[in-house]
Amino acid sequence: MNRYLERHRNIADFALSSLMRRKGKNISLLLVYTLVVFIIASVLFFIHALKHEAALILKDAPDMVVQRLVAGRQDLIPAGYGDKIASIRGVSEVTPRLWGYYFDAAVGANYTMMTAELQGPEPEKIIIGNGVARVRRLAAGDIMTFRAYDGKTSLLQVQSVLPYESEIAASDLVIMHEADFRLLFNFPAKEATDLAVKVRNPSEISTVAAKIVKQLPDARPILKSEILRTYDSIFDWRGGMIIVILAMALLSFIIFAWDKATGLSAEERKEIGILKSIGWETADVLLLKFWEGTAISLSAFLSGVILAYGHVFFFSASLFEPALKGWAVLYPEFRLTPAVDAYQLAVLFFLTVLPYTFTTIIPSWRAATVDPDAAMRS
Amino acid sequence: MIELLNVSKTYNSGKSNQFTALRDVSLTIGPGKVTVLQGPSGSGKTTLLTLIGCMARPTSGRIMLRNMGTASFPGFEAGEGVEITSLPERFLTGIRRSAFGFIFQHFNLVRGITVLENVMLPAYPTGEPHDAVRKRALQLLEMFDISRHAPARVDLLSGGEIQRVAIARALINNPSVIIADEPTAHLDTKLSREFMAIVGSFKKEGKAILIASHDPLVYDADLADSVVLMRDGQIISSGSAQ
Repeated sequence: MNRYLERHRNIADFALSSLMRRKGKNISLLLVYTLVVFIIASVLFFIHALKHEAALILKDAPDMVVQRLVAGRQDLIPAGYGDKIASIRGVSEVTPRLWGYYFDAAVGANYTMMTAELQGPEPEKIIIGNGVARVRRLAAGDIMTFRAYDGKTSLLQVQSVLPYESEIAASDLVIMHEADFRLLFNFPAKEATDLAVKVRNPSEISTVAAKIVKQLPDARPILKSEILRTYDSIFDWRGGMIIVILAMALLSFIIFAWDKATGLSAEERKEIGILKSIGWETADVLLLKFWEGTAISLSAFLSGVILAYGHVFFFSASLFEPALKGWAVLYPEFRLTPAVDAYQLAVLFFLTVLPYTFTTIIPSWRAATVDPDAAMRS
Repeated sequence: MIELLNVSKTYNSGKSNQFTALRDVSLTIGPGKVTVLQGPSGSGKTTLLTLIGCMARPTSGRIMLRNMGTASFPGFEAGEGVEITSLPERFLTGIRRSAFGFIFQHFNLVRGITVLENVMLPAYPTGEPHDAVRKRALQLLEMFDISRHAPARVDLLSGGEIQRVAIARALINNPSVIIADEPTAHLDTKLSREFMAIVGSFKKEGKAILIASHDPLVYDADLADSVVLMRDGQIISSGSAQ
């Protein structure tokens, strides 16, 4: 066993000094390789962390949101709908929600306006998200002006700014009292934007949704699972778009690596001949080439993954955030909670390390199977 | 002892460029003896060395190794002769590694790595502890008075120093046979004499030495126990050098 390990150690040792001989070639290969792994790993980490974040946020979301449709478009929902839904067996709670959007012409940003029954602000006061505070340069105690539905100016005082941790979901949020909301938008009394419904038994959600549609044919229940699925599709689409663009880079790298790795120079062929003539077996030569390939590809993989981790979780993927986060004035500034999918990492490993290692071994195997007397005659 | 019986070697058999390098060669090489293969270029000296050194297999005939530490070869018992002609590559490599030390015409050192690493290379696949191999390599470099160059790259050495590194490398696995192919072809007279002096020390240690050369400094040397004259792949004459 010791001899077996020593043999590996000796050959790995020689593989490293062998790599150091062709510093220029190997360092340039390592840099390009690391860059490719870095970019792909960054996209994978970013998408996975966003999904993870979205799932955490939606954990506390209602089981179902009920909207009312008029001519196929969402319309305000009367409070009476809530009473009918609450009477369906299995429904534990129905909460009318008031929310909408407000375009701030001064900064060209869209805010999400909503009310909150619990922990909401007092009348004539608002709680704002970090993004809003940033673009309007506001702090607690400042006054924020809004242009109401009739063109009049409405002044509301900032009660507090939401904590930084909530920025990913609440960057563009303005929370206000129900009375202020109705006044600002001329929102009819006893009507809401939609209804948040909680169901006691999760397995009954679809049954409850069917009952709602039966009783209220113009209602549209949207299940939490559907919202999650939509988020997943959006993030996958954005990630997919980036990966398609990166495929070009990956392809160039594969051509580059193939050229570098498969083209054994006359010098390398001669060396293989020398090694065989001094008592190395074909298997020993292949082991040497395996260690050389592994040293390059594993170093590139580990450096690429570590750099990508830092890029995504410490620098908020600053290199390609416009493409991944969407286009808006109010970019949320946030740090993602580190969440790494081991399966994706394993796929990345198998798609980068293994092919490279094999492309280095195959030409060497061809060179190593020749008779060692070739070295004697060179 | 190495015995060759009716050994022939044909390259590119069955093809238009078929060529027979050795024809019906029979020869015995004793332990502790210096045997010189003498002959012009193309006479088959190098082919004969590659067959004896287990680098290639003969097309026909048999090659036997006896009393050459065959007990240390995997799968063989002490005192038993080894018929190397039909052995698979793995066994041939094992025998080549442990029984033979090679000194090539162009020395064939690996460029870009250090002198020490070059000397240690043949021992790497044996699985012997790295420190032990390193120690032995340093002793060999010391013996040939080139230990000061151990950390230097071989590319920076002079011709004589390169030759001594090649000799040290041939000895790293303590072989019982040293095979040298035209070792003095690229050396001046002084270095050639130095080489022959080193061959003398191997002989004293009981190693068999097999040298292919058409240099009179080698085949006319007092050290040579027998000279085998070759031409066109055949042995013309064989006998004591004196």
